Amino acid sequence: MKFRHGVQGVKLDQQKELSLKHKIKNLPMADELPLKPNFNLNGKKDYNYILNAAQKSQIVDEFDGIPLDKKLKKLRGLKPNMIVACCFDEDPWTTSAMAVLREYTAEVISGLEYAAKACGIKERKIAVATKEEAKFIKSINSEAELILAGDRYPARVLLKKKLYSQNIKAFYIGAQACLALDSAVKEGKVQQDTVVTVAGRGVERWSNVKVPLGTELKTVLKFCGVSDKTKMIITGSSLTGKAVLDLTEPVTPSTRCIIAIKKAKKDISYPCIGCEKCASACVRSIVPWKILKVMKNKKPDPLMLTNVQKCIGCQACSVVCPSGIDLAEVVKKAADLKKSGDFE
Amino acid sequence: MILNYAKGPFIKNVPTIPSMMRDVIFTLSVLLIIPIVQYGVRPLVMAVCTMFVSVICEIIFNLIQGNKIGAGDGSSLVTGLMIVMLMPVNAPIWLPCMAAVFAVIVAKMPFGAFGHTPFNPAAAGVAFAALCYPHLVFRYIDSSAKNLPAFGDCTGDIVSSTAAVLKNGLKPSILPLDMLWGAFEGPLGTTGILIICAGGLYLFIKRTANWEITAAFLAAALIIAAFWPRIECSMITSVKYELLSGSLLFCSVFMVTDPVTSPRTKPAKIAYGFICGVLVMVFRRFGAFEQGACFALLIANALAPQIDVIFSGSFETGDVLYEK
Repeated sequence: MKFRHGVQGVKLDQQKELSLKHKIKNLPMADELPLKPNFNLNGKKDYNYILNAAQKSQIVDEFDGIPLDKKLKKLRGLKPNMIVACCFDEDPWTTSAMAVLREYTAEVISGLEYAAKACGIKERKIAVATKEEAKFIKSINSEAELILAGDRYPARVLLKKKLYSQNIKAFYIGAQACLALDSAVKEGKVQQDTVVTVAGRGVERWSNVKVPLGTELKTVLKFCGVSDKTKMIITGSSLTGKAVLDLTEPVTPSTRCIIAIKKAKKDISYPCIGCEKCASACVRSIVPWKILKVMKNKKPDPLMLTNVQKCIGCQACSVVCPSGIDLAEVVKKAADLKKSGDFE
Repeated sequence: MILNYAKGPFIKNVPTIPSMMRDVIFTLSVLLIIPIVQYGVRPLVMAVCTMFVSVICEIIFNLIQGNKIGAGDGSSLVTGLMIVMLMPVNAPIWLPCMAAVFAVIVAKMPFGAFGHTPFNPAAAGVAFAALCYPHLVFRYIDSSAKNLPAFGDCTGDIVSSTAAVLKNGLKPSILPLDMLWGAFEGPLGTTGILIICAGGLYLFIKRTANWEITAAFLAAALIIAAFWPRIECSMITSVKYELLSGSLLFCSVFMVTDPVTSPRTKPAKIAYGFICGVLVMVFRRFGAFEQGACFALLIANALAPQIDVIFSGSFETGDVLYEK
């Protein structure tokens, strides 16, 4: 018999209010750094012009790290039904995409139109997280066509699945990439700065900061008042990001947040109690508790590891497990075992 | 500042095992308030002694085996508290302590401690006590007795509980609506009906316990009580008496929903609750004692892995269970 799970994904405690209280701040030392020169392009603003502008301005999409011109060329070949500007953050501590949409609504909308023109797609929508956010954006600028993504983690995958079940093939473009594309096409500017959220208990002032690309992390943290008792600094995402040891690392377009943690998570783990929370949290139909049981054998049978190669590494299963077991690691090991072919 | 390196999700998990145990202990302690108000300090003394004994047993077993010493998750405390809730107030203090020793040392630790127990330890402890000393476990003092001695033996009128009266085929003298207030004879934690319902609602909302198992259990008990009543009365009265007497409601909320001993997939959980309800009513009618909830629960625990296999495919062949 085959059964369907209920609602997928995990509901996480959102920590977004403090960093959205104030507008996006500019880093004070930004005026001293040398600006990259603008470029000039002539001709009508058709798709060739936009693709050239995207290439010359070296824009990188902040959600997946792919350069924008490559992405637009690929989308031009694939011809999806809809292009969606991803203006929500599935990570509970990050608010950079939401802040960019709130302050630069018109620029994001026009950047999205240029991107849609470059790929030859008619339908374009802006994705926001909740109804309240949608109301807020509509009150600022009523032209935007909005679509709701929900606040369960991982929201990006869940929205794509929902649209796919309605027979719409959709692809994402990041909010800051749209903004940079707009200024590249209109004024010929190269992408020079990015908005990062600085949050966490080790930081005094949680805020969104506009940082020139290449600034060291310690400069940004000092601007927001980092305390000396911080034990860990994390970039990227609080679930799938990485811990940084050297604070002279530069800020890149895909550093969407910098989180300073004072008290590390305790490393105690209990045995599996069979509560099935991991199976309902998984978005890719993997059953992590079964994988855990199979991998405990000396010679795990790869036929019993169903669907492990589909794992996207969102860590929803590890977060929701009451026993604190690192299930994402177990599934990754199972996928490596299956791929290696190292079994009779 | 000195920075550390760590892997994986950096967020604290919201339901953790200690927090789930804390929820259950909180609910059970609230259930203890009415007996303390009614009978004096004796229920509190029994509860504290039993919890202490169960933790000591776990620590001793860990010492003998050479494991890391600790009762860090509160599962021994929950076991001790649940055993006390199913004993009468006038039971001697050594009785729940003996049940707790059996529950921890025989039914819990040799199988691998928390997370690997095939049988519910609290149910095993109470079943052991009921089989060894049935005249002590099923003897209740009159509910109007006040200020019982904390450690000594209780003297007072011995009356039979509602469940015993039903077993003899007679109609109990107390009205079902009066039973809701908890002032009648019965095991220590099972007479506060409204508090059990409120505690159950709290646990379901916090997702510490699954409501599907409880619903299936009560549905099975309701159907059998309605269509095969034990006494001469209308269907509704029979349902009311059966559901409100004995330890049925307490077991349905606290003991059947234990995630370690119940099956894992959702349809299997519903079937398990239903089978457990049927078994409880069968034990009540044909069993030797007036309450059979613990014995029925142990039999259902033995069947739980097979119910899982029936609904979600055999573990050996690796059927794909879920389709999204």
